[in-house]
Amino acid sequence: MIEMKYSGYKGKILRVNLTNKKTSTLEVTDEFARKCLGGNGFAARHIFDMVNPRMDAFDPTNVVAMMTGPFQGINIPTAGKYYMATKSPLTNGYFDSVSGGHIGAQIKYAGYDGILVTGRADKPTYLFVEDDKVEFRPAEKLWGRLTGETQEMIKEEVGDPSLCVSAIGPAGENLVRYACVITEYRAAGRGGVGAVMGSKNLKAVAVRGSGSNQVADPAKFEEWINWYNVEAKKIPALATGLPTYGTPVLVASINNMFGAMGTRNHQGEFFEGWEGISGETLKKGYWNKDTACPACPIACSKVFTVKEGKWKGAVSEGPEYETIYAFGSMCGISDAAALIKTDSLCDEWGLDTISYGVMLSFLMECSQRGLISKENTDGVEFKFGNDDILVNYVEKTAKRMGIGDLMAEGSLRAAKVIGGDSERFAIQVKGLEIPGHSARALRGMALGYATATRGGSHHDPRPTGEYAGASDRKAIDGKAAWVIGTQQMTTIGDSLVQCHFLERLLGFTLTQKYVDMINPVTGFGYTLGELVDVAERILDLERAFSVMTGIRRRDDTLPRRFLEEPIPEGPSKGMNTDEPTLNRMLDEFYGLKGWDKRTGIPTREKLIRMGLEDVATTLENL
Amino acid sequence: MTQEKKPLIRFDVQRCAFCKICELSCAKYHFSKYGDALSRITIIRKSPLMFRSLICTRCDKRFCIPVCPTKALSYKGGNIVVDEKLCNSCGECVRACPFHGIRLHPETKMPLICDLCDGDPSCVKACPKSALTLVWLPEVRK
Repeated sequence: MIEMKYSGYKGKILRVNLTNKKTSTLEVTDEFARKCLGGNGFAARHIFDMVNPRMDAFDPTNVVAMMTGPFQGINIPTAGKYYMATKSPLTNGYFDSVSGGHIGAQIKYAGYDGILVTGRADKPTYLFVEDDKVEFRPAEKLWGRLTGETQEMIKEEVGDPSLCVSAIGPAGENLVRYACVITEYRAAGRGGVGAVMGSKNLKAVAVRGSGSNQVADPAKFEEWINWYNVEAKKIPALATGLPTYGTPVLVASINNMFGAMGTRNHQGEFFEGWEGISGETLKKGYWNKDTACPACPIACSKVFTVKEGKWKGAVSEGPEYETIYAFGSMCGISDAAALIKTDSLCDEWGLDTISYGVMLSFLMECSQRGLISKENTDGVEFKFGNDDILVNYVEKTAKRMGIGDLMAEGSLRAAKVIGGDSERFAIQVKGLEIPGHSARALRGMALGYATATRGGSHHDPRPTGEYAGASDRKAIDGKAAWVIGTQQMTTIGDSLVQCHFLERLLGFTLTQKYVDMINPVTGFGYTLGELVDVAERILDLERAFSVMTGIRRRDDTLPRRFLEEPIPEGPSKGMNTDEPTLNRMLDEFYGLKGWDKRTGIPTREKLIRMGLEDVATTLENL
Repeated sequence: MTQEKKPLIRFDVQRCAFCKICELSCAKYHFSKYGDALSRITIIRKSPLMFRSLICTRCDKRFCIPVCPTKALSYKGGNIVVDEKLCNSCGECVRACPFHGIRLHPETKMPLICDLCDGDPSCVKACPKSALTLVWLPEVRK
């Protein structure tokens, strides 16, 4: 046991090499913990140090990081999660994906702050970690299996029904570029972390720990929990919206109030069939029970079941709002039952629902415009509104069968194959398909997606503050500072490995309330200024990695459709961010960040101020 | 004449959200730290809708008591009580319990069995979904 001054940490990270089956540990010092906080910060630093940014994501030297922050394994709301990061096969950049699941706490209890996996096993393998014991177990019998049965078979083999397992499905094995990792019924969905695991012949990671986690100041911590319990009840989203409907509650407001729900591959942003896929419809017609991430009293997750009709018998935890957008409005499908069916199939086969749905809607528009025909798509016409395609192509994509092989590549790569002007309406940034928060109706999301490390992710910038009116969604002036603020907030959230739903309570950008939550657990005695620096340090590390993969200012942009075509109808009719406006905001953004305005590379002065002199030197020697 | 009663922490599968706050609060109450290996209650999930709680049920047969080779276990006031001076940490009670209601403390190796937290179970208080309730059932053993 490593003694640390600060609480919430175990003082070491497990390093696993699948090629030679060797393990070792890396020390987490007090200084490192204070400077990088956890999850996002720990992984960004180690991946920057360990991974060659120019190497292919499927090269054995790539690293899969499975990280925790100081909040895992204690009783604090919305932190029952774990954090995964790698160099993405979809975006080629640094990529992280956070998921609910008990395995985060188990990593802590086993005595680690995280696990870094590198190398490639010579045959299918799963990793079993139990405290100091690390086993490379054969997974031939599990290869080809769905995520649910994989987890159950491992639990059975180990003989522990409460064992925590994170597994990939066939999509990960077949290197689908947006394959996810599933723990219980939740997904580290985006960016293809599951495919990188597949490339390493790593089917699953199972962790069990006999240890514990503690907070630095139990009295102050309890005070904070009591404060939370009182204050959270005053926030409608936390008190009723999310507990009752989950994230599907957003459908009605985003579609009807904002007219910002991408429809038929963003040919419009108002879906006339919204009622069939709304939170109310799901609750009334399909809801079975509420579920929660560990230690979270909100329980925003919903299990839906289909009791009759074509998709009778389908059961799924979800779909969440983003999935409803990707499968529903984007593909022109207004039958919630088909969405539930497809959601469960994506989890089982191991696909990211957002990328899968947006990829499919892209092909549907290609078909509509005559860029592809039935001959290209297995004899089936890819028409908007066809729910059979939505359901059937999950398996075909996961197995790369027929057109599924192209679908497995993601919309940007597919557009390059299909050609014509299709790239103009491939709804992605840096290769990552854009989720259900409009880059045209929300100015902050336009700049946010363009500058986010991951590209089209709603967990780098956040839309919530603009929906809530905390920042005018049409404003241009001051938007750069707002976006930087929301990106800092999500970076701290991803480092604590806590979900961002507390933003309505603690702030859309970093505030003293975040500091007051972190200090009792860790004992850092952070000031707000120091916390902001932690966020900036991590974001600069991510950017430095992107720069080394070749990302420059020219890549910080949006799909041509968003820059050139204003929203054609609905409450946000006429809105978009055109290229001159985006450029004006980018200038301001880079200026405030301390990044070079011409190239988008972090300046030496900024990196030194963040304590990253070595990174500055690396960038200068490019 | 009053009938003797025994306690049960009743589990409502429909309400349970699998947040495991019960496990955290159990460990916190007894050991002032968080860890499911220290918890006397465990929630497992086999499928999206199939949940179970594993905890001492004060079952009528009390399988654990007779199998103990050192007679360290007894039933007092509604609880299975461990005499830590007699216990040799052999784990026979863990294996005998068909409800998976006993585990050994990872360090001291003493059996961990629900003791109702001095009559006011912390798991019941902590459950945000009110899925756990303390009820008293008629004792049918005699």
